[in-house]
Amino acid sequence: MELLRILGEGLARNRLLAVILAGFALFPIYTGIADLPFWNDLAMRIMILGMAAMGLNLVLGYGGMVSFGHAAFVGIGAYAVGISQFYGLDNGWIHVLISLFACGVLGLVIGFLSLRTTGIYFIMITLAFAQMLYFLFVSLEQFGGDDGMSIDRADFMPIDLWEPLRLYYLIWVALLLTSLFLMVIVRSRFGVVLEAIRSNESRVEAMGLVPLRFKITGYVISAMICGLAGTMFASWQEYVSPDIMHWTRSGELMIIIILGGIGTLAGPLLGAVAFLLLEEWLPELMLLVAPAYAENWMIIFGPVLIAVVLFARGGLGGLIRRIAGGG
Amino acid sequence: MTFILLLEQIFNGLQLGVTLFLIAAGLTLILGIMDFVFLAHGAQVMIGAYAAASLTALTGNFYLGILLAIPVTFASGYLLEYLLIRHLYRRNHMDQVLATFGLILFFNELIRIGFGPAALFSSLPPSLSGFVNILPETPYPVFRLLVIAVGLACALGIHLLVARTKIGAMVRAGANNETMTAALGVNIRMLRRLVFAAGACFAGIAGMMLGPLTAVEPGMGEPLLILSLVVIIIGGIGSVRGAFVAAILIGVVDTLGRVLLPVILRGFMGQAAADGAGPALASMMVYILMSLVLVVRPSGLFPPKG
Repeated sequence: MELLRILGEGLARNRLLAVILAGFALFPIYTGIADLPFWNDLAMRIMILGMAAMGLNLVLGYGGMVSFGHAAFVGIGAYAVGISQFYGLDNGWIHVLISLFACGVLGLVIGFLSLRTTGIYFIMITLAFAQMLYFLFVSLEQFGGDDGMSIDRADFMPIDLWEPLRLYYLIWVALLLTSLFLMVIVRSRFGVVLEAIRSNESRVEAMGLVPLRFKITGYVISAMICGLAGTMFASWQEYVSPDIMHWTRSGELMIIIILGGIGTLAGPLLGAVAFLLLEEWLPELMLLVAPAYAENWMIIFGPVLIAVVLFARGGLGGLIRRIAGGG
Repeated sequence: MTFILLLEQIFNGLQLGVTLFLIAAGLTLILGIMDFVFLAHGAQVMIGAYAAASLTALTGNFYLGILLAIPVTFASGYLLEYLLIRHLYRRNHMDQVLATFGLILFFNELIRIGFGPAALFSSLPPSLSGFVNILPETPYPVFRLLVIAVGLACALGIHLLVARTKIGAMVRAGANNETMTAALGVNIRMLRRLVFAAGACFAGIAGMMLGPLTAVEPGMGEPLLILSLVVIIIGGIGSVRGAFVAAILIGVVDTLGRVLLPVILRGFMGQAAADGAGPALASMMVYILMSLVLVVRPSGLFPPKG
C-alpha cells in the first residue's frame, strides 16, 4: 500500500510521463479503429528506444556521467536472446534474467574501470569499451559476425507473443515498470546522493559518503535497463547485428535525451517520441513541399536539432513545461 | 611477411598518422582551449575533400583545384563560427553535442543534395600517380609519399605557429586565462574565429589528401572524427605535440594491426576464421591502446600544464 501511494504521488508529480505512458497504453485502440498496424510497430520502437534512453539518463542526466557507450548494453541485451536461442534456450523470462545479469556484470566492470576518469576522458573511455564490444561481436563468426543473427520471437510463457498486441503490451509493461522503478529511485536517498554528486562531488565526499559506490551502482542499474530494452528489441526486430552497438547508436540515445530534456523522468521518452516521429514525418512533409528532395529530409532534421538547442532550453520537456505554466 | 612489406605498411601507417594529426590538431585546440565539444569537425574533412574534387574537375588541374579548395575550407570554418558556434560557447557540453550533431546531419545531407549519394572517385595527375623506390627495388606510390611530406610540413607549420608567433602566444595566453588576455587588449572573439577557421582548414587539407586514396562520400568524416578523438585523448586534450605523437602511434598501430593480426591469428585458428576475426580485432586495438594509456596516465601522454 505504501508503495502504491508513492507511485501514485510520483505519477501525479510527473504528469507528462503519466500522459505519455497512458497514451502508449491507449494507442492500439486508435490504430485498431483506423486500421494502421504499421503505427503499432513504430510505437513499439519508440517505447524500446525510450526505455534505453531512460536507462542512460539515470547516469547522464541525474548522475552527470556522460556515457558514450550505452548502445553496447542494448546490444548485449539483444545478443543475450540470440545467443541463448543459439544454444537451444527459448524461454523469454530466462533471456531477460541472463541479459540483466550480463549487463549488470559488464556495467560493473566497465563502470569500475571508467569511473576513475571524468569529463571528456570518461566520455571517450566508455566509447572505447563499447567499440571493443562492437568489434568483438563483428569478429564472432559463429553468431553471424557482421551480418548478425536472426532471432525467434521469444517464448514468454504463458503469454503467446504471436497473438496480436501481446508483444506491444509486453514492451509497454516493461516500459511502465522501468518508469516506476526510476521514479522511485530518483526520489530515494540513492537518487538524491547521485544528483548531489553531479553538482558537487567533493562535498558529498566531505559528508562521509563514497561517491564512487553511488556512481557505479547508478552505472550498473542504467546498464541493466538498457539490457532490458535490448531483449525487447530482439523480439521486436527478430534479428540482431553488431549495428545495434555501433557508436552512432550510443550517440542517438544521447541526442534523444538532450532533445527531450536531460535529467527529467519524462524527457528521454518524450525525446524518443519526437525523434522517431520527426524521422517518420519529415520525409512525408518534404514529399508535399519539395517532392524532389523527399529523401533529403535530414537537411531539415539537423537544423531542427540546432533550433532546439538555441531556442528551447531544457529540451522539448522544458518547452512543454513553460507552455503549460511551470506545472 | 617480408621486411619490405612491413616497411611499406609502416609508411602507410605514417600516412594515416599525419592525416589524423591534421584533423586532430584543430580539434584538440577547439576542445582543449575553447572547451567546446565540436562533433562536426569530421564534416570539415568532407567539405575539404569535396571542394578539392569539384574544383579539380572544374579547373581541370589537380594542383589548381587544391590551391583553390584551401581558402574554401578556411572560409567555411570562419563562417560556421560566425553564424552558429559563437552562440554556443556558453552552453553546456550536452547542448554543444546536440547542436553539432545537428550540423553533421545538415552537412552530410547538403553534400548528398549537391553531389549525389554515390562516392566520388578522383584520379591523380600523371605526375603523382607513379611509384618511386624508397629503398632499392622497393616501389612506393608517389602520392602517399607526398601526403606524408605535406602532413609533416603542416605539423611543423602548426608547431611554429603555436610556439613561435605572436598569434600563437595569444592563443596560448587565451587558453591559460581568457579574461586576463582579453583585458590586455587581445581580441579573443576574433582569435577563436581564427583558430576555428585554421582548424577547419587543416581538417580540409586532410580530406583533400584522402580524396584520391579513399572514397569521397557523404558521412566520410565521422569515422575519422572518432579516430581523431582517440588521438586527442591519448595525446592529452589541448596539446598539439601530444596530438602529433598520438596520431603517428594510432596510424602505425592501426595499419600494422590490420596487416599483422590476421597473419598472427592464422597461427592458431583456421584461415577463414582468422581472416574474419583479424580486421575486427585490429579495429579494437586502438581502443585497447587508449584504455591502457588512460589507466597509466589518466589525462593523456602530454597533459597540458595549467
